[in-house]
Amino acid sequence: MTNGWTDIANADVILAMGGNPAENHPVGFRFAMEAKRNRNAKLVVVDPRYQRTAAVSDKFVQIRAGSDVAFLGGLINYALTHNRIQEDYVKLYTNATFLVKDGYSFDETTGLFSGWDKEKKSYTDKSTWAYDIDPKTNFAKVDETMQDPRCVFQIMKKFYARYTPAMVSSICGCTPEDFEKAAEIITSTYLPNKVGTIMYALGWTHHSFSVQLIHAAAMLQLLLGNVGMPGGGVNALRGHSNIQGGTDCGMAYHNIPGYIAIQKADHAKLSDYLAAVCPKPLRPGVMNFMANYDRFVVSQFKAYYGKNATADNEFGFNLHPKLPVGAAPGTYQNWSWAYMFDHMYEGQMDGLFSFGMNPVCNGPHSRKAIAALSKLKWLVVAENFETETASFWKPEVLWLNDGKPQDVQTEVFLLPAANFAEKDGSFTNSARWIAWKYKAIDPPGEAKPDQEIIARIFLKVRELYEKEGGKYPDPIKALNWWYTSPTKPALEEVAKEINGWALTDVMDEKDPKVVALKAGDQLGKFLDARADGSTMSGNWLYIGSYTQAGNLTQRRNSADPSGLGRYSEWAFNWPANRRVMYNRCSADATGKPWDPSRAAIKWNGDKWIGDVPDYKPDSPPEAGMGPFIMNPEGVARLFVPGQFADGPWTEHYEPMESPVQNPLHPEGQNSNPAAKPFKTQWDRLGKSDEYPIVATTYRLTEHFHYWTKNNQYNLQGQPEFFVEIPEELAAEKGIKSAQNVRITSARGSIVGKAMVTKRIKAMTIAGKKVYQIGMPIHWGFFGAGEQKGAIANLVTHSVVDPNSFAPEYKGFLVKLEKA
Amino acid sequence: MAGKVLEIRAMSASSTPAPGIRSAPVVAKLIDTSSCIGCKACEVACQEWNDLPAETTVQVGSYQTLPDTTPNLWNLIKFNEHETSDGAFHWLLRKDQCMHCADPGCMVACPAPGAIVQYNNGIVDFQQDNCIGCGYCIAGCPFNVPRMSRQTKKVYKCTLCVDRVSVGLEPACIKACPTNCLTFGTKEVLLQKAESCVNRLKAAGFTEAAIYDPPDVGGTSVVSVLAFGNNPEAYGLPRNPSISFAVKLWKSPLKWIGNFAILAGIAGTFVHYLRFGPKHVPEDAQIKQVEAR
Amino acid sequence: MIKPVKVAHGNVLRYNFTERLVHWAAALSYIYLSLSGLAFWTPWMWWVAMMLGGGPVSRAVHPWMGLIFTVAVVYMYRMWLPDMRITPTDLEWKKTVRAYVRNEEEEMHPVQAARGFDRFAPVDRFNLGQKYLFWVMFWGGITLLVTGLILWFSDYLPWSLRFLRLISVFLHPVAFLITFGGFIIHVYMGTAMVRGGFSSVIRGEVSESWARYHHRLWYDRITGASAAKK
Repeated sequence: MTNGWTDIANADVILAMGGNPAENHPVGFRFAMEAKRNRNAKLVVVDPRYQRTAAVSDKFVQIRAGSDVAFLGGLINYALTHNRIQEDYVKLYTNATFLVKDGYSFDETTGLFSGWDKEKKSYTDKSTWAYDIDPKTNFAKVDETMQDPRCVFQIMKKFYARYTPAMVSSICGCTPEDFEKAAEIITSTYLPNKVGTIMYALGWTHHSFSVQLIHAAAMLQLLLGNVGMPGGGVNALRGHSNIQGGTDCGMAYHNIPGYIAIQKADHAKLSDYLAAVCPKPLRPGVMNFMANYDRFVVSQFKAYYGKNATADNEFGFNLHPKLPVGAAPGTYQNWSWAYMFDHMYEGQMDGLFSFGMNPVCNGPHSRKAIAALSKLKWLVVAENFETETASFWKPEVLWLNDGKPQDVQTEVFLLPAANFAEKDGSFTNSARWIAWKYKAIDPPGEAKPDQEIIARIFLKVRELYEKEGGKYPDPIKALNWWYTSPTKPALEEVAKEINGWALTDVMDEKDPKVVALKAGDQLGKFLDARADGSTMSGNWLYIGSYTQAGNLTQRRNSADPSGLGRYSEWAFNWPANRRVMYNRCSADATGKPWDPSRAAIKWNGDKWIGDVPDYKPDSPPEAGMGPFIMNPEGVARLFVPGQFADGPWTEHYEPMESPVQNPLHPEGQNSNPAAKPFKTQWDRLGKSDEYPIVATTYRLTEHFHYWTKNNQYNLQGQPEFFVEIPEELAAEKGIKSAQNVRITSARGSIVGKAMVTKRIKAMTIAGKKVYQIGMPIHWGFFGAGEQKGAIANLVTHSVVDPNSFAPEYKGFLVKLEKA
Repeated sequence: MAGKVLEIRAMSASSTPAPGIRSAPVVAKLIDTSSCIGCKACEVACQEWNDLPAETTVQVGSYQTLPDTTPNLWNLIKFNEHETSDGAFHWLLRKDQCMHCADPGCMVACPAPGAIVQYNNGIVDFQQDNCIGCGYCIAGCPFNVPRMSRQTKKVYKCTLCVDRVSVGLEPACIKACPTNCLTFGTKEVLLQKAESCVNRLKAAGFTEAAIYDPPDVGGTSVVSVLAFGNNPEAYGLPRNPSISFAVKLWKSPLKWIGNFAILAGIAGTFVHYLRFGPKHVPEDAQIKQVEAR
Repeated sequence: MIKPVKVAHGNVLRYNFTERLVHWAAALSYIYLSLSGLAFWTPWMWWVAMMLGGGPVSRAVHPWMGLIFTVAVVYMYRMWLPDMRITPTDLEWKKTVRAYVRNEEEEMHPVQAARGFDRFAPVDRFNLGQKYLFWVMFWGGITLLVTGLILWFSDYLPWSLRFLRLISVFLHPVAFLITFGGFIIHVYMGTAMVRGGFSSVIRGEVSESWARYHHRLWYDRITGASAAKK
C-alpha cells in the first residue's frame, strides 16, 4: 500500500476494484466503514460479482472478469475529457510535461507499440519507449504548458480517447450510464480538498496484464491528485499475513531483499551490477535515491559473508547467486513460479523446498504441477498439516493425471513446522507496518520453527561440503552464520541483522571528522549504510526498525495526535517510518497542503513536518526537488519509459482465453503481446466455441487458502466447493441450487455444488451474450470434514504477466454442465 | 457497569414477585445491518466463548452457514438476495439471534419456575438447570429462537454474554465484529446511535430506513437498523411480533379460571355431601316387601 | 356386551376383570397425568413435580403416561361403546336429573323411595351422567392426545406450522380442565355419593338390589327378566 489501513478512514471516495476487501480483509475493512460512517465517504465497487463488499457499497458496477483495464482506461478518458483532473498537481508531480522520443508510436489498428518484430512476434526494440533526452544535459525535455503534441499529456489524451463509455460498455459489459455514474463519483476527487483511494488485491494482479492494470490505476490516481494524500494512494491489499515481509526480504526470484534487482550472470564486475541498478538522474535537482543502491548492495553482501566479503573480492560479489542469461540475447532465465514448474516438468530441477506453500492447490494448473513434481528427485515440504503437495504421490492425487504411485521416483520429506502462533518474529502487513509478534504456545510434538529447520539443513550441508568437498562450496562455506545458537537462530538477532549495524566506526559524510556511528551501533537511517564495507544490513528497507533505541517493531503506542490515523509510534512503518508514501505530493509548490484538513507534511520554513517526509527533510519548496525520490526523473510516471515488457501505456488486452475479439482492435492483437504460453502437452488454451463461459476464482471470508480446510469452524462456515451461477444460465441448463455441476476447461475439470444466484448477471460483450461464473478456491483432498478433491486450480492455466509473472487465475474460459 | 450485580427482575412460572430490587440500565446490542459484511466472526466468536462445537454443514446453494440457529450455533448471519420493486439488487445481511425482549414470550409461556429469567439489565437467559425441556418457550417466542438439544433435552440460545457483561466486558460477538456493525451499551445511548444510522441511510437514499425495536414485545435489547425498514420480512424478521394470544390466554385468564374451577369443583363435592349426603340402596327384603304390596 | 353372570349370595357381576383393569389403568395414569400436569399448569403446584422425581423427569414421563391413558381410553371405547350410546330413555331421565342430584329420593321413606324411584326414567347399564363422563373422557382424551403429541415434539415442528403449537398450548389445558371436572364429579359420585360404586369397580360385584335400584334395565337384561333387547 502507498498509504495504509488506518489511512483509508480519511478518504472521501473508496474504489474497491480487483479486490473484495470486506470478504478477504474484514478487519482492515473497518477503516473503509469508518470513512463511510464518519465522513460520509462513498464506496464504489466494480467487480465481476456482487460480493460482500458490494453489499455495503454505495455504487456497484458489474464488469466482465479480465476487463478492468478498459474500465480504468474509461475512467482516465472520463477525467481527461471532463477536465476532472488536478491540473497543478499533474504538472508538478507527474511526467505529463515530459516530451516523448520521436520514434515512439502506437498503432490503433494492430494494438501494438513501436518496436514490434512481426516475425519474432515480440518487442525486440523498446528504445523508442523513452523520453526525448536533451543531449547537452542528459535530462528529459519538458513542456510546462502541456500543449506540445509530443508531450506525455497530449499523447495520453489521444491514447485514451478510444476508451469512450460506449467502448467501456462493449468490453466490460456494464451499461454506459452505469459506467458514467461510477465515473462521476470516482473522479469527484480531482478537487484539491477531495481525496479518493483505491483498494485492490488479486483481482487485479491475477491477470496476464496485471502490471499494466496497476499502472492504469496509478495513472488515474495521479491525474486526480490523490497520490501522497492522506486518504488517497493506490493500496494493494496483500493476500497473506506476512507476504509483504516475504516480498520485502527477497522472496521473488528476480530481486534480492529490498526490491533491488538480482545480479545477472553477465555482470562481470560489481561495478557492472551497480551501474545496472543505480540509475542516472533524468531531471535537474532530483533526489534519485536509487543512486544509493551501492550502499545497500554492499551492506547486504557484508551481512551474508561477513569477514569473507572484502574490498578485494568485491565484497563477495562472485559468491552470491547470479541470474543466468536466457536463450535470446539480452534476456535472462525466468525462475518465477510458473516458469519454475515448467523447468521442473522439463527435468531441469533435482529438488524443491516447499515451505508453507501448497503448489498443487495454490499454483495455477494443478495437473501440470503434479506432473512436474513427479519429475523431481526429492521434495522437502515443511508444513503444519498434510497437504496435496506433500502427498502429490498418493493415488487420489495422481489419479488426476492418470498417474500411479509406483511410477513416481520422487523422495518426499514432510517436516512438521511450527505455525504462526508457535514462534515469535514479525509480520509486515499490507501497510508496510513491521510488527513484532510473540510466541503464544509451544509447537506440538517435533514441529520446529522454520529458522531452525533451515539452520539445521544449512549446517548439515556445510558440514558435508567441508568433509566431502563439491562443486563450488565457497558461498556455503563463506556464509556468515554468526547467531548465538546456530541451530536455533533467535529472530531478535535476525531482526538486528536485517536492520544492520556499523562494523567499524563510521564517519559523518558531511563532516568526516565526526563519528556518525560507533562500531557495533545499529544503523538508524538509510544513509547510515556505506558502500565501503564498513556497514552491514540484511535489507536496507528495514533500516530504522531496530536501532540503538531497540526493536521498534515492538512499539504499541496508540496515540494519534494528527487525527489522521498515523499512529507514528505503533510498530515500524518502512521506509523510515513514513506512513503515507510520496507525501510531498500532499502539499503544493509552496509547501502548503492542498487540503489543510488532510495535511501529510508541510513546510514550516526550516523543514518538512508532520509525517516522516518522503523527501529530503530540509529541501525547501522553492528548490523544486521532485517528490518521487526513487525515480530518476523525480516525478511519477504516467508514460513509463522502457521498463515494462508490454508497453509504456496500459492498453486493454483480452485475457489469454477470451470470449470475444478485442473490440479495440478486432483485426489486430487480441491478448497481451508479451505474454507467452508455455509449450508442454499440459499447456492447452481453450477457445470460446468449446468453452463459452468466463470464469473467475476467488477467496471466501470463512477460509484462508488451503490451510483452514483443516479447521472445523472454518468448514462450518463454508463446508464445500461450490460454483456461483447466474440465475439465467442455471435456468437455461436446468440447474438448481445444491445440485452437482461440472466445470471443465482445456486443462481439467472439477465437480461442485451449484449456487444459483442473482448476484451475477448475464452480460453483452462486443454484441455477444456472455455468462460469467465464479468459484472459490479452498478445498482439496486432505483436511477435516469431507474433502472431495475439488481444487479450483485444476482448471486455471499457467500463462503469466510478462512483468510480474503473476498467473492469470481470473478471466479464463470453461464450460458448465450438470454432473 | 463493572462489578455491578445482576439481579433477576422477572422469571418464568413464579408464584411470587422476583426478589431483585436493584435497578440497572437496560443494555442493548445494536445491529446496523447496513454495515454488516457477513463475515461470520460473530458466529464463531460466540461458539468459541461458549465452548460450543462446530456444526457439520453442507452447501445448499447459499453463503448462509445453516438455515437456522441450532443448540450449538446461537447466532447466524442470514443472507437474503433481495430485489426491490424498481429492480435494484441488494444482498441483505442480518445477524439473527435472540432478541432479548422486554416482555419475553418464552418466559411467559414457560411452566418451569426459574428456567427462564430476565435480569434487571434486560438480558433474558435460560437456566438449563431448571429447564424441564417441554418446549413451551418455542411456542411462546415470536422470533423462532429457542433451540432444543437432542442430547440434553434442554433449550439454548444467545445469552447476550451475560457472563461477560456482568464483569463489564462486551459480548463476544461485538468484540469480534470487524466493521463495528455491532455495538453494545445502554439501550438509551444505542437508540440515539441507531437514530444517527437511520439518518445516514436516509441521506444515502434509503428513504425507508428505520429502527427495528418492536413495541408489542415491549421493545427488545437487540435493536436493528434496517435500510428497508418498511420491509422487515426481507430480512427474515416478523413485521409486528407479539406474544401469541394463545400463550397470553394460557398464562393469565385461563389460569385464574382453571384454578378457581378446580378448587370450586373440589369444594363443591364437600358441600354437596354435607347438604345432600349419599344415596342409599334399600335392602332387597324391603324392596320385595314393597313390591309385594 | 358382557355375558350376564349371576354370582352367588345375591350379587351380580357388573364389571369383569378386563374392564376393571382397563379402568384402573386409565384412572391411575390419569391421576399421574393430572398431578404432573398440575405442576406444569401452575407454579403453586410445582412441588408436586418435585415429589414425582423432579421437573425434567415429570416432563419426560408425562407424555408416556399420556400414551398409556390413551390406550386405556381407546380400550374402554371399544369395550363400552355399545353401552354408551345416548337413547331417548336417557333424555327422559334427564328431565328428572335435578332430583337425582339432590338425592330427593333419599328424603322419602325407604319403601316410598323404592317406588319414588320409579318416577325416574329407567336406567340401563350406565346412566346419562356416566355416559356424559365417558364421552367427555373420550373426546377430551383425543384432544389431549393430539395436542399432547404436538407439545411433546414441539421442537420438530417447522416454523410454518407454529399455529399448531399455539393452539395446543391453549387447548391442552382446556381439555385437561374439562376432563378434570368430569374426574372430580366421577370420583365423588363413585366413592362418597353412590355407595357401592367403588367396590363395583374393585371387586366387580354389586348386590342385586343395587343393580335393580340403579340400573333396572341392565339388571333385567342380564338376569333374563325382560325379553326387551337393548
